Amino acid sequence: MSAAPLLAMRGVAKSFGGAQALRGVDFDLQRGEVHALLGENGAGKSTLMNVLSGVIQPDEGEILIDGAALRFEDPRAAQAAGVATIFQELDLVPSLDVAANLFLGRELTRGGVLDRFAMRRQAKLRLAEIGFDMDVDQLVGDLPVGRRQIVAIAKALAYASRILVMDEPTAALTASEAERLFAVMRDLAGRGVGIVYISHRLEEVPRVADRVTVLRDGKVAGAASPSAPQSELVALLVGRPLAELYPRRSGGRARRVLRLEQARYQPRRRRAGWRAPQGVSLEVHAGEVVGLAGIMGAGRTELLSTLYGAGGPGAWSGTVEIDGKPARLTSIAAARRAGLAFVTDDRRGGGLMLRDSVGRNLVASVLRRVSPFFLMSKAREARLAGEAIAAFDVRPPRPDLAVGALSGGNQQKVVLAKEVLGEPRLLLLDEPTRGVDVGAKGEIYARIRALAAQGVGVLVASSEMPELIGLCDRIVVLRGGRSVAEFPAGAEERDILEAAEASQDEDDE
Amino acid sequence: MNDAATALKSAPARPAPRRLDFFAVAVRFQSVIGLILVAIGGVIFSPRRHGSILFLAPDNIANIVRAISETGIIAVGMTFVIITAGIDLSVGALLSLSSVLTATIMTTWGWGLVPTLLFVLICGAAFGATQGVISTKFRLEPFIVTLAGLQTARGLALVISGNQYINISYGDGPGLAPPIFSVLGDRLFNNTVPVATLVFVVVAIVATFVLNLTRFGRYVFAVGGNERAARLSGMPVTLVKISVYAITGLVSAIAGVVHAGQFNFGSANDGTGYELTAIAAVVIGGTSLFGGSGSMIGTVAGAVMLGALANVLQLNNINAALQLLATGAIIVLAAVLQSLVRRREGLGR
Repeated sequence: MSAAPLLAMRGVAKSFGGAQALRGVDFDLQRGEVHALLGENGAGKSTLMNVLSGVIQPDEGEILIDGAALRFEDPRAAQAAGVATIFQELDLVPSLDVAANLFLGRELTRGGVLDRFAMRRQAKLRLAEIGFDMDVDQLVGDLPVGRRQIVAIAKALAYASRILVMDEPTAALTASEAERLFAVMRDLAGRGVGIVYISHRLEEVPRVADRVTVLRDGKVAGAASPSAPQSELVALLVGRPLAELYPRRSGGRARRVLRLEQARYQPRRRRAGWRAPQGVSLEVHAGEVVGLAGIMGAGRTELLSTLYGAGGPGAWSGTVEIDGKPARLTSIAAARRAGLAFVTDDRRGGGLMLRDSVGRNLVASVLRRVSPFFLMSKAREARLAGEAIAAFDVRPPRPDLAVGALSGGNQQKVVLAKEVLGEPRLLLLDEPTRGVDVGAKGEIYARIRALAAQGVGVLVASSEMPELIGLCDRIVVLRGGRSVAEFPAGAEERDILEAAEASQDEDDE
Repeated sequence: MNDAATALKSAPARPAPRRLDFFAVAVRFQSVIGLILVAIGGVIFSPRRHGSILFLAPDNIANIVRAISETGIIAVGMTFVIITAGIDLSVGALLSLSSVLTATIMTTWGWGLVPTLLFVLICGAAFGATQGVISTKFRLEPFIVTLAGLQTARGLALVISGNQYINISYGDGPGLAPPIFSVLGDRLFNNTVPVATLVFVVVAIVATFVLNLTRFGRYVFAVGGNERAARLSGMPVTLVKISVYAITGLVSAIAGVVHAGQFNFGSANDGTGYELTAIAAVVIGGTSLFGGSGSMIGTVAGAVMLGALANVLQLNNINAALQLLATGAIIVLAAVLQSLVRRREGLGR
């Protein structure tokens, strides 16, 4: 055992323009250790890791690996020193297949010609090594986000000799996939690899981390033991004790907003990896928040988007009732007329016009109300946008700012606020807090409950079990496109997971 | 605890240094600034006669704005298409087809002025809308569809005209066009303002109004900014896409009518390359080819700037090849500026 740690970052500082992103951060990593790095959005985690992986150069400070000071001029230099990074925004090529992505820039050749056979075989092997089995001939662009994440991890692991940086690797994974990933991480650590693990999911920390460091405002706010209670971690993260993450429920049922009875959707065209609802029974009452649980591929997103009429051409069968009346939800226009609103899990891809201003985004789905006789009314627009910004506490409260410049949490508030402006009867939410920091999460939960209290029915899909348990009045479990179980508020996470992950084989055609 | 709370509040705000704002403003009005620079250059390098600056002579100015009126009208429509992240290559050919139709209908079919104009404009809009329908229904790239449209329109024009100039003679009788039509080649207000330019101005004003002050304009920006988000927000995305191609079809037909009126003939071989000039004006005007942002005033300034530049070079007897080089350089410069802005906004390459 040498005395020097595997990695030591000393006094790292970096500013962008006038903004000081890092103010002298010390961070170190031992061999065989999983070191969790926590922090709210904008705390400096990503900047610190970008420094470590050579993407940006620090203004001050040094990086020592095995006690030797190194300077990474570019990502290649960092890789050569044994640092591999899995970024949040996956560096995969959607138009190439899985095998080609795994060997991107390191293609195997035989006599100058690509050796596709060998690459396919080795790709399969690598995925199997980390416990995943998938068709390596599939295009990455056809894979759901969770699967892409796995490909990215396999790719980085291939050249992670010593230090592996994982930036929210579980954000798109289901609980059981995350568990498998943790097993892989423990295994790698056992072989002496040091792992920096960034996550927003505090409940994962004790399961995988050996040590926790919290960043706040570009400085180290403190260290904690992974077994410390979550409230202690949250207090370190936000710099003050947070009263209650999940709001109180209002209780009391009213009329039935949505009723599905053996509802199935027959798409006109089959799509790979797209699981149409095929026998879903559930109800959502006004004032109620109902959760949709299920592993990846269980059909949660598909159920929400087909209810919203965005499932592509096809037809419903079984019972689909809105407010007690049969509804034909086959187009977005029809769903909106029926009083439905939908917030996608992909806010950058399907939620926001990123270069457009906050105000213009907010009124996008209620343009009719701000344009009498087809003419835009700036006054009405400003009033509606102002109301929405105030109601959701969007920060900074400026409708003229480009929405892409806001933090993830505030972008998510804008997406929510935009749909709420349409005064829906039934709000469909897909992963409403993905990539959102703890403070904003609490605010979003509070808004969702407040909407329910006003009589809106809410159907929420989430892969974060604590979120469903904390937020929802009831939880419906999907598996293979069917509803298989229902749990009341306060159910045990273990029971829900069991229902969600029971053998899938019977469901596959 | 107070400290921490304020720190938390200030954390998400992204600082915007003054310098960056200035830069953004400069880029937003790049075409206007470019136009001013070209005008200054024009004054400096203009040949002089009897001490007066030829570039600024009323006749010369009228020439510039007349020369750009047809491509300018087209560029105005093209702005809508490009903001939706589309492209329309058929406009030059459609101008030519419209000029042939106008001449043929008035001289051979003997229709009156109003029915002729209505028919030609409706044909143009329908041609554009058809391209929009094909591109949306079959999910084809507008580049391909409008490339085919270019060939089709050119082919139709050749068939209808028999590859002959269809000359327009004016008068009252069979085979003669209504004399009032020739006003398109005239100048009004003491022989200063070309009528073709007035048409351009009117088209530009209407388009600015539609783009910035109507619900439809907002749809156009949203479809280009994020098509999926627009669809999920309940916007009629397909209809909007078809409409913008109907608009380019319509403005091409207007430009074709103006062409016929200015030159007193319809020809199947005119308007070649107009699509590229129009696209250049739009891009120089600061509209992003990626869609989602753009400005009509920018397009107008871009069109005038290209015309003024060509004029300056012509006045100095600089040959056509060098004019092309200069135009190319300016397009690259405009595109580079836009790319710099995107990078500063942190929205990728």
